[in-house]
Amino acid sequence: MKMKFNKMLAAVGVTGMLVGAMAGCSNESSGQGDGAEGDQVTVELAGWGASPEEEELLQQTLDAFEEAHPNINVKHEVIADQYMDVTKTRLVGGEAADVFYLDAFEAPGLANTGVLEPLDEYVTDEFEIDDFQDPLLNAFKFDGTQYGFPKDFSTLALFYNEKKFEEAGLDGPPQTWEELREYAEKLTVDEDGDGTPEQYGLGFSSELARQFYKLEAYGADVVGENNEAAFASDEAIEALQPIVDMKQDKIAALPSDAGTDWGGDMFGQEKAAMVIEGNWTVPFLENNFTDLSYATAELPTVNGEKATAAFTVAYVMNKESEVKEASWELISFLTGKEGMEIWTSKGLALPTRESVAEELGFDEDPIRGAFVAGGEYAQPWQAGPNLPTINNNFNNQFTSALLGDQSLEEALKKAQETANKEIEAAN
Amino acid sequence: MKKRTITKPVVYGVLIIYAVVTFIPFLWAILSSFKPLSEIVSGITFFPENFTFNNYAEIFSREPLFLRWMFNSIFITVCMVGLNIIFNSMAGYALARVKFAGRKFCFFLILVVLMIPFQVTLIPSYLILKAFGWLDTYQGLIIPGMVNATFIFMMRQFFLNFPKELEEAAQMDGLSRMGTFFKIVMPLAKPALAAQAVFIFMSSWNDFMRPLVIMSSEEMFTLTLGLNSFKGQYISFWNLIMAASTLMTIPSLLIYAFFNRYFIKGVTFTGGK
Amino acid sequence: MEPARKETPSHEPDKSKKSKQPNKKQKPKRYMSKGWKEGLSGYLFMSPTIFTIGVFVVIPILYAFYLSFNDVQLLGGIGYEFIGLENYTRTFDDSRALIALKNTAEYVLIVVPVQTCLALLLAAALNSNIRGKNAFRIIFFLPTVTSSAVLTIIFMWMYNPDGLINSFLKFLSLPTYNWLADPDIALKSIMIMNIWATAPFFMVIYLAAMQDISDSVYEAATIDGANWWQKFIFITVPILKPVTFFVVVMGVIGTFQLFDQSYIFSGGSGGPNNSTLTVVLLIYQYAFKSLDMGYASALAVVLAFIIMIVTIIQKKFFGEEKLHD
Repeated sequence: MKMKFNKMLAAVGVTGMLVGAMAGCSNESSGQGDGAEGDQVTVELAGWGASPEEEELLQQTLDAFEEAHPNINVKHEVIADQYMDVTKTRLVGGEAADVFYLDAFEAPGLANTGVLEPLDEYVTDEFEIDDFQDPLLNAFKFDGTQYGFPKDFSTLALFYNEKKFEEAGLDGPPQTWEELREYAEKLTVDEDGDGTPEQYGLGFSSELARQFYKLEAYGADVVGENNEAAFASDEAIEALQPIVDMKQDKIAALPSDAGTDWGGDMFGQEKAAMVIEGNWTVPFLENNFTDLSYATAELPTVNGEKATAAFTVAYVMNKESEVKEASWELISFLTGKEGMEIWTSKGLALPTRESVAEELGFDEDPIRGAFVAGGEYAQPWQAGPNLPTINNNFNNQFTSALLGDQSLEEALKKAQETANKEIEAAN
Repeated sequence: MKKRTITKPVVYGVLIIYAVVTFIPFLWAILSSFKPLSEIVSGITFFPENFTFNNYAEIFSREPLFLRWMFNSIFITVCMVGLNIIFNSMAGYALARVKFAGRKFCFFLILVVLMIPFQVTLIPSYLILKAFGWLDTYQGLIIPGMVNATFIFMMRQFFLNFPKELEEAAQMDGLSRMGTFFKIVMPLAKPALAAQAVFIFMSSWNDFMRPLVIMSSEEMFTLTLGLNSFKGQYISFWNLIMAASTLMTIPSLLIYAFFNRYFIKGVTFTGGK
Repeated sequence: MEPARKETPSHEPDKSKKSKQPNKKQKPKRYMSKGWKEGLSGYLFMSPTIFTIGVFVVIPILYAFYLSFNDVQLLGGIGYEFIGLENYTRTFDDSRALIALKNTAEYVLIVVPVQTCLALLLAAALNSNIRGKNAFRIIFFLPTVTSSAVLTIIFMWMYNPDGLINSFLKFLSLPTYNWLADPDIALKSIMIMNIWATAPFFMVIYLAAMQDISDSVYEAATIDGANWWQKFIFITVPILKPVTFFVVVMGVIGTFQLFDQSYIFSGGSGGPNNSTLTVVLLIYQYAFKSLDMGYASALAVVLAFIIMIVTIIQKKFFGEEKLHD
């Protein structure tokens, strides 16, 4: 017994020494100095995890960059989960990566705090800033300052199952939201008559991110002038009531209602004949549901106007970065024509530069064309620095309106009041 | 306790039902790791319809750093288990048996520490690690985790029940407190130490949040962290996640099975005959 | 010693003073006879703990405590503005905090007793002389080795309207539920899952503790004609009291701090209609979503204070004080 415990103690001692020794080798310092010529500089690039395909594309892009800039090494860091929480923690500690991804949704809040490096000074004519699509560029521009350049974007479009359309005698996608309802009625199938359809007409997501684009067509707002929540208006009710009705009439459903994870899955499993989803759904369907015959279309018009949402992510620079010149080189390459062309070559996400879009010709693609077309009028998912709070409260209450536990009016009011109380208390 | 289980059928019945209830979700997770993503996300099938090893193949082929991560995880976990067992037991013993000024206060502090949710201490802890220069290092994970309030508390409760006579005898023989602790008390506390070892192994092996925040270089990732990066912005790759998590549970189960022998009645560790 | 006095929320200054005095005056006297060696070895035993917990846990807690009196700006240059108790008074005004607390309290009241009893009974059964107990022990332990994210996902599938649980209920001709979308049921779904996942952890601790009970105690009872159940209630349970105290206190702390499951189930919002909102989820939302660290810290202090009161009540209930010496 004694022997054993002595051994254990010895083991602890050795461990301690090892810890010390290991510490030495793991402390590779990241780039020193500001990339004077000949010096090797390391730029840290942080992002979230991605599919194997995406990771490969990014790696290709980074390899191309390193080849063009032999004195700059890129250290790619993946934050596997809770990306924004970890990024914020690292920013507070002054330890965030030099260049990192930022979703437009979080951009106003972060830009407000002054942790992002303004990029206007770095931009040269060669970079051709006018080549970017304006709404996407503006999603990262606050008070006239550009804080990031969009690396890609996705819009929402309507996926519809061609076989089911044929069976229901429908020809072509619905053009208006009213037509969408009619279609959904025809496409809902409840064979055993238990009141729970086996196939819903429409699958949709209840989050504000997937609903907000309808408000503008009715003249409603998500946020007001002072960035407070302002969605509890009659106009907003008008915009959102159709989907609530469809859900309660059981011709539209959430993915979870059909025992599925998300819309793409619901559509692939043929639990919904139509879904409103983004272009990330395309490779998912291609890889997992090879037999599915489907098409895509621009979203039906809302109150006579074309509307859809755009989700966009930018590369931004950490204000604390010690290698700003090199970081800019990286950003300008990744969002430049060459880098963007490699990154978006497979159409997993769409290019934000018009020239690249033209080059790759996704607008001609039968499946991806609808997403590109949506880019013309899409509203970026973004609404001031308080959106995270507003979003939270909306999601929390809107689901209960969908369930019919309270009216849409009540739900929106409650969500708005709570959100504004929180916003007010925080300021 | 031995012969008198009159209610045996009932006991077996209950145990078997509970075992089924416990085993099914776990079995589902394992079986899911052999399904393609399309089948897995629906959650409808139980047995794989399209049996595949691709998920495992993909994990190994995709991650060139797999061995490094495994080394990191093993190294960190071994250190954590060794240090925690000794330090937690020492503290638990002192809180239960050694009379020193401030003992109650220390115990109170241990409880308070457990009551504050980590969400508010995450950022300050991060700042402290930064001040030490320990971000992205092994010691950044090991040193702050080498003592665990939960298990100090647990060990204290165990030592409260510990027969006093043995210690008194040892002290009569001239053993110091330290000597008594390492030579008499620790060997007799095996069941509690085994339980502690299992739990510390698991919490360190499966720890996600701390490595997620502290480790930024891929070479410094633990296995849990490295294998959990199968999450895109919009889509989670559940087939890979399930395969990874199945791989991750195997060592924990082996450790548990190994230490399980210390919980088996028959070997008496106590002072009683 | 300084730190923890501050830790006691400010509106209870008397209490902390009281606890300080005995330390200074009575105790040294009482311990004098045993010699300073005992005191010294106490601190020697505690030194790794004091260093580690002091530096890496107590300092962050004190920092959070300090933040709770400030309007904090963490990002882009740390800035504080002392606002006294404003963050604390704000909690009374926060309807969501009240709902979160109510949800959490309901959760604690149901989950803690059930999981404690379940763990104790399972341990007792597995400690008796039954066949295949090793197999049972391994199977029962499975939920503990599986990561909580994976468990939650598995349960989300099982809870699906067409999932395993509803299929089973349908098979038995029992009513089915919309486990996760129905606000009346959502929290209960999480409770069931949590009990199922945590009970084995405490079961193992009970199992370990049962190894320390000497056979002679049972033998005496057997001679007196006690049956299995009587021995369990009159011998095992009382001897395990200190461990039960641990199990209950940790259960209360763990359930009061419920976060993972409700975060994953509700996608972080706490919905539908706040039905899965817990205090720690709210703290998280404030700390990381709105970056309002001052208020988040105040909520955390209030939560800790509530847990502390519950723990003190338990301490009295378990007669912990008597066990001390």
